[in-house]
Amino acid sequence: MGVLYLVALGVALTGMALLDRRFALFFWRDGWRAAVTLLVGVVFFLVWDVVGIDVGIFFRGETSFMTGVQLAPELPLEEVFFLTLLCWLTMNLLSGARLALELLDERRSARSGGARAGSGGGAS
Amino acid sequence: MTYWAINAVFLVLVATEAGAALLLAWSRRRASRASSPGRPLAERVRAAALATVVLLVMTAVFDNVMIGVGLVGYDEARISGVKIGIAPLEDFAYAVAALVLLPSVWSLLGGRRPPREPTRVHPRDRAGVEASTTAAVAPGATREEEAR
Repeated sequence: MGVLYLVALGVALTGMALLDRRFALFFWRDGWRAAVTLLVGVVFFLVWDVVGIDVGIFFRGETSFMTGVQLAPELPLEEVFFLTLLCWLTMNLLSGARLALELLDERRSARSGGARAGSGGGAS
Repeated sequence: MTYWAINAVFLVLVATEAGAALLLAWSRRRASRASSPGRPLAERVRAAALATVVLLVMTAVFDNVMIGVGLVGYDEARISGVKIGIAPLEDFAYAVAALVLLPSVWSLLGGRRPPREPTRVHPRDRAGVEASTTAAVAPGATREEEAR
């Protein structure tokens, strides 16, 4: 009964939530919409997984890092958390990339002597 | 059936859903052209490209770790054998699908109420800032933030 992988996923998901809250990336933009989007994503990828497992493409590794709890044959409990992380990360990245590019543009225009830059950034 | 064959099926589903989202977004924009100009296309493409690069690199790193420590195994007869490190190239279809499917679903769910925009403003300062930007956008509002 290893919980290492599950704990690692939990830590990563906590990071996603903190970043989301801090920069209003996904759930903190519109909670209901984010919840439905995430649910659709996770269910879609679970179906993909199950088909892959059914056809015999991938299988769960025998490792001490996982709890051994299976939701279906060869489908570990951890996979749900992994897919949640993949979906949340994707949406955080898409929103975060906008902010990162915005910041870059502001810095660039500030350096080239642009007068009106850095609006709204201040607090950190 | 190979891993690529299954990926093809799911990627077609993703593409179909994305097509529907684009079509709906297009018809919505036509219906309310004047009121919401939206962000420039070049800006959206740049952000999507950056997110794509980051997610693919992260997938390469973490997929290699996950396979390396033995969390998942593959039937060598059903994968192409093309690998990034020890990760089958096929695995990257998940990341590509996520990058297309999720924003499309998000877009399809969009209603009349626009979501909050991502912001660098700290949550504790957000209420005040959002109130003032709403006021600035509202017709006839005085531009108080000029005083700052």
